[in-house]
Amino acid sequence: MILLKQINKFFLSMRTTLWSLGLVLIMFLAGAFIMPGNTAFKALHHMPLLEWINKQPLNVTWWLWGTIIILAVVAVNTLFCSVESIVKKRKVTQWLLLISPQIIHVGFLFILLAHFLSALGAYQEVAAAREGSRMKLTGSNTVLQIKDINIRVDYYGYIKDWQVVIEYSEGGKTIQKDIIRPNQPSIFRGLNVNVKNLKAYPEEILLQLNREPGATWALVGGIVFMIGIVTLIILKIRLEK
Amino acid sequence: MTILALSFASYLFALWKRPFLYLGLVLQIGYIVSRGVELGRLPLVGPHDTITFLAASIAAFAIPFGFTLKEERDRFFSLISASVAIFTVFALTSKQINSPLPPILKTFWFECHVVLAFMSYALFGVAAALGYFSIKNRDPVLDALQYRAVLIGYCLFTLSMIFGGIWAYLAWGTYWVWTPKELWTSISWTFYSFYLHARLRQWWMGRPMAYLGIIGFVIVLFTYLGVSLLMKSSHSF
Repeated sequence: MILLKQINKFFLSMRTTLWSLGLVLIMFLAGAFIMPGNTAFKALHHMPLLEWINKQPLNVTWWLWGTIIILAVVAVNTLFCSVESIVKKRKVTQWLLLISPQIIHVGFLFILLAHFLSALGAYQEVAAAREGSRMKLTGSNTVLQIKDINIRVDYYGYIKDWQVVIEYSEGGKTIQKDIIRPNQPSIFRGLNVNVKNLKAYPEEILLQLNREPGATWALVGGIVFMIGIVTLIILKIRLEK
Repeated sequence: MTILALSFASYLFALWKRPFLYLGLVLQIGYIVSRGVELGRLPLVGPHDTITFLAASIAAFAIPFGFTLKEERDRFFSLISASVAIFTVFALTSKQINSPLPPILKTFWFECHVVLAFMSYALFGVAAALGYFSIKNRDPVLDALQYRAVLIGYCLFTLSMIFGGIWAYLAWGTYWVWTPKELWTSISWTFYSFYLHARLRQWWMGRPMAYLGIIGFVIVLFTYLGVSLLMKSSHSF
């Protein structure tokens, strides 16, 4: 019972928040010095983060492990503080001013969830391709074919615009056609198919296939976070006036 | 470049007479607009254009904050003028990038991401300036103004990160990439999250917050310039 009270007190404490944020900062700063000089990080985005981190030596990843652990503490701390804040102060007059920081916290938790989901299941594959190239998508019977590559080059040789027509098929039957343009990827069953790089002469592309399970939660979290912070700023300005 | 050089001169004269600060800002905005017209796009690529935009943003945001001050007003505007003049010199000596934008950068998301980022940097810079005066004179008005600058800057910075994430997902299939730029962005964001929470504790009120505001801007400057110049990432100059 005493232990539960102490745990409760620990997670309700602003001191815990500040110490956790401070430690996360230290972890990130350590990573900022470790990461640039280490070639192990080149493979970081080709597999889920948690899978990658388990394969690397600890002297390279200790700061990431530290960050994950401390962010778990931050997440629980955020949840505890937000719930307590809403429950204890629910009868105050300025209820919207009370709740807007908690909306910010909810957005933050969604973003943490997004990163956690991505750390579990995000991956990236790249493949060089030309018109007519066919490739089987990992983990499925779907075949992706490059039907057409169209690159427009200006007078000075700079690429002005491009589009790549692709086709998805299964068992020889076309199931979907799509066009990839700059900032307009093809989304197929949760897979983001985009062009990382291209060459005009001869026409060749570097196709990139990404799976990001956390993407939707990151967007939701971002929107909720912004609603909270904008509301807070407006209310604070009104209060000052 | 002549207009930019004139704006630099104006900022220097502003150390003597404040209306030159407003003139310098008008000239600098005029230069940015003329660059935009010349290039046919927002001039926000490379060190020359981005430092110019940052300098103009600092001057623009500093003006309303400065007018709220009473005793420190003149010295605040002098510090801002000197700072903006220094940034403008860096812009004058930096290479212009006049090549057309690659297709991947021709998007609303890129423009919003960059504009919001630099507006937030500017607000953090104003907060640092207010922090400097707060250290010298214990004035609750300075503390409150610094907090306001940081809060609005934090809001814009977060929005910039969100737009950047959306753009990265559309361009490269992932909303987050672990490169030096993103890591230092996380450091900046976490630092200001720390700042906003620390001021809820009595121990941190006053001078500690003022120092945090200054340290934060140093981190932001490294995130912007240091990473882009010294490290390899998608944000390299």
